[in-house]
Amino acid sequence: MHQQDMTLMAHLLRRAGFGATRDDLEAYVAKGYEAVVEELLHPSDPQAMPEDIIRRYHVDQSELRQLDAAGANWLYRMITTKCPLEEKIALFWHSLFATGYAKLNQARALLNQIDMFRRYGLGRFDTLLVELSKDPAMIIWLDNNNNHKGSINENYGRELLELFSMGIGNYTEEDIQECARAFTGWTLGNAEYMAVRASKDSIWPYGRIAWHFEYRDGDHDDGEKTFLGETDRFNGEQIIDIVARQEATARFISRRLFQFFAADEIDAHSEQTIQEMMQSYFDSGYEIRTVLRTLFLSDYFTSEQARYARVKGPVELVVGAIRLAGSYRTPTLGAHQLAYQTFYMGQGLLQPPSVEGWHEGLEWVDSGSLLERINFIAKELSNVQNSGVRAIIARLAAENGGTLMPEQLVDRCLDLVGPLSVHDDTRAALVEFAAMDGALQLKGHLPGDPSERRVGNMLRMIASTREFQLA
Amino acid sequence: MSAQAATPSITMQYVKTIGIVNNGFNGRGFANPYDLVVSQDGRIFVLNRCDPTRAAAIRVGICTLEEEYLGEFGNGFGTGDGQFAWPVAMAFDSQERLYITDEHNHRISMFDTSGTFLGKWGTLGGGAGELNGPAGIAIDAEDHVYVVDQHNHRVQKFTTDGRYILQWGEAGTHDGQFNLPWGVAVDAPGVVYVADWRNDRIQKFTPDGQFVARFGESGRGKGQFDRPSSVAVDSEGYIYVADWGNERVQVLGPDGSFQLQLRGQATLSKWAEEFFASNPDEWQTRAISNLIPNLPPHLNTPYHISSQTEPYFWGPVSVKLDRENRLYVSETNRHRVQIYQKT
Repeated sequence: MHQQDMTLMAHLLRRAGFGATRDDLEAYVAKGYEAVVEELLHPSDPQAMPEDIIRRYHVDQSELRQLDAAGANWLYRMITTKCPLEEKIALFWHSLFATGYAKLNQARALLNQIDMFRRYGLGRFDTLLVELSKDPAMIIWLDNNNNHKGSINENYGRELLELFSMGIGNYTEEDIQECARAFTGWTLGNAEYMAVRASKDSIWPYGRIAWHFEYRDGDHDDGEKTFLGETDRFNGEQIIDIVARQEATARFISRRLFQFFAADEIDAHSEQTIQEMMQSYFDSGYEIRTVLRTLFLSDYFTSEQARYARVKGPVELVVGAIRLAGSYRTPTLGAHQLAYQTFYMGQGLLQPPSVEGWHEGLEWVDSGSLLERINFIAKELSNVQNSGVRAIIARLAAENGGTLMPEQLVDRCLDLVGPLSVHDDTRAALVEFAAMDGALQLKGHLPGDPSERRVGNMLRMIASTREFQLA
Repeated sequence: MSAQAATPSITMQYVKTIGIVNNGFNGRGFANPYDLVVSQDGRIFVLNRCDPTRAAAIRVGICTLEEEYLGEFGNGFGTGDGQFAWPVAMAFDSQERLYITDEHNHRISMFDTSGTFLGKWGTLGGGAGELNGPAGIAIDAEDHVYVVDQHNHRVQKFTTDGRYILQWGEAGTHDGQFNLPWGVAVDAPGVVYVADWRNDRIQKFTPDGQFVARFGESGRGKGQFDRPSSVAVDSEGYIYVADWGNERVQVLGPDGSFQLQLRGQATLSKWAEEFFASNPDEWQTRAISNLIPNLPPHLNTPYHISSQTEPYFWGPVSVKLDRENRLYVSETNRHRVQIYQKT
């Protein structure tokens, strides 16, 4: 198996997924790069931790009265899924169509929205926008329940154009108003009662009542509207038809996908790839799957230039570390704390700071969040009881009779957590650390013995490197 | 709301709902109730499983059928005496001592009805008498204690002080085998019924664990189950099943034949009425709402329907009968108990 193939596959899985264990990587490499891209783009049975198992043990995740339970529920899915792109694309849309708990107080509706992203997130963009417009969490989040015939509320109409599709500068204030008129009557069932409960964070008397979409024909403004130069008695679906065919929309979506999956920064070289993605958008009838295929197979994405060109977001970091470590594979007391962990690092799932989502890239890292990031990964990867760490130890023990010189220990650990390429200075520091205790002898190792703890400590050190923070 | 067999032998009359969500640490209301027992004098003991953010409030609440809240006991979350992590089920012995299982601490804790901690037993393991995730518990007339040892996929029989008597079961789908079993009941003659949770069936055994019969299969139809969590048996042999994944209760005849199903029809408890009396804004908007809405196709599952349909069962985790043939259905996601009368 070529190291080059392994390195490229690891890159793909960091971007289209949450990283991969060595066992997984070997299986992926055997299938070939293009076949794996197709597999990722066509999620089938995720084989994630079953909902009935989760609900039996975690009553908080069954009821979803509180935010942390919902975050943990999604994290379980990310940690255990066999279809990582399904979750990654949901995370992408959650970042772009950022909807937050604080105004809703309705975690079930938020998880229903995430599930909608799973169902439609790789399909046609216009379909996704229609579903988004019908999403009860989005309706409350951007006040479309207050958008009435004869008394419009522009909030959703404005963000649909500015933040969710074309971007500012591609429409007028009149377009926003006409767009809002088209979405009058798009509300949720029992909107008045649900809005009062949301505003009061009411759980009374019998816990939360989840939400569903309702179209109120009598509250819809069926009059003629002029939107982006076209005139008709548009309803919301026709507005989205027009939005989806705009070049500004193709550019907006392609750029956002590029930044999430390929590189934080867009430069002249990557502009060519974005153009190809835009062409795929139109050629395929706005299909996100096709746009992503173009990206994953592009020269840019597969080149050295794209490697480590992104800072891992907190959720990517936490999920990736857990998947590598092998923890949380069964219902675990305290799983809700995982949701707090990503929040402490700056990305509380289902609680983006605003409708603009998170500021990503280098802004993920400051002195406080960096400490949280390193501490969490180091704890997971240094725990030699975790099954994923044990698998790394077993591989090390099977090589060279279980004897590893300091440089070998460093290089093999870097390889097995990635392959992870590090700067020469970083490697030298790791070797210096490993050399303090001389050669490592893993022959006859026992769970938790000093030889295993040395591996755990090396993984802890690797977790604290700059390079491990990058995707 | 109920659906019935062509000629059901019994009827279940809705009586009332008791409960309100308890979001604090004291006072009336329930927090994710997981089981319930009724004492000889009619007091209702409700096991509050709670959730991690309110772990200190894990406890047993006591009230009456007339909705008088009498208090609570338990020492909150932990591993100490009288504490719980993931409590699951309760049973009384002949002396009205209360036995409570804890599937995370792998033990049984005992209390008297005033809440005094009496003792505990249970050790993690797979050997005879050891426990791995004790779930359902039932005690027969002779004070034999049956404990569902879920992760060992078996039932174990103990004395009341935790001495091992016998066991049966192993992982599998054949008769007498289990897949993460949960609830257990024992009828007056001592026959044992087990909710074989992940095999979607109820199994029936003699008191020494000989297989007698099995009822049900996977599905949403009549007599089919989706993760049954609890079972109860009345004096005539009718079998009541908390069909947890289908968010309903089914009643089977003594031969296992489908009799009827209940979907829930909760009304406002006295505590709920008092809440609305002091929150007219919620009451007024509720009054114009349809609490049994039609949902779009992607939400057409029992779980999603229940999450949006307040009168229906949501998380009907436990069924228990009292001496008057009243059926108590504990709903963990709605923090309440719906009560039916068998007639």
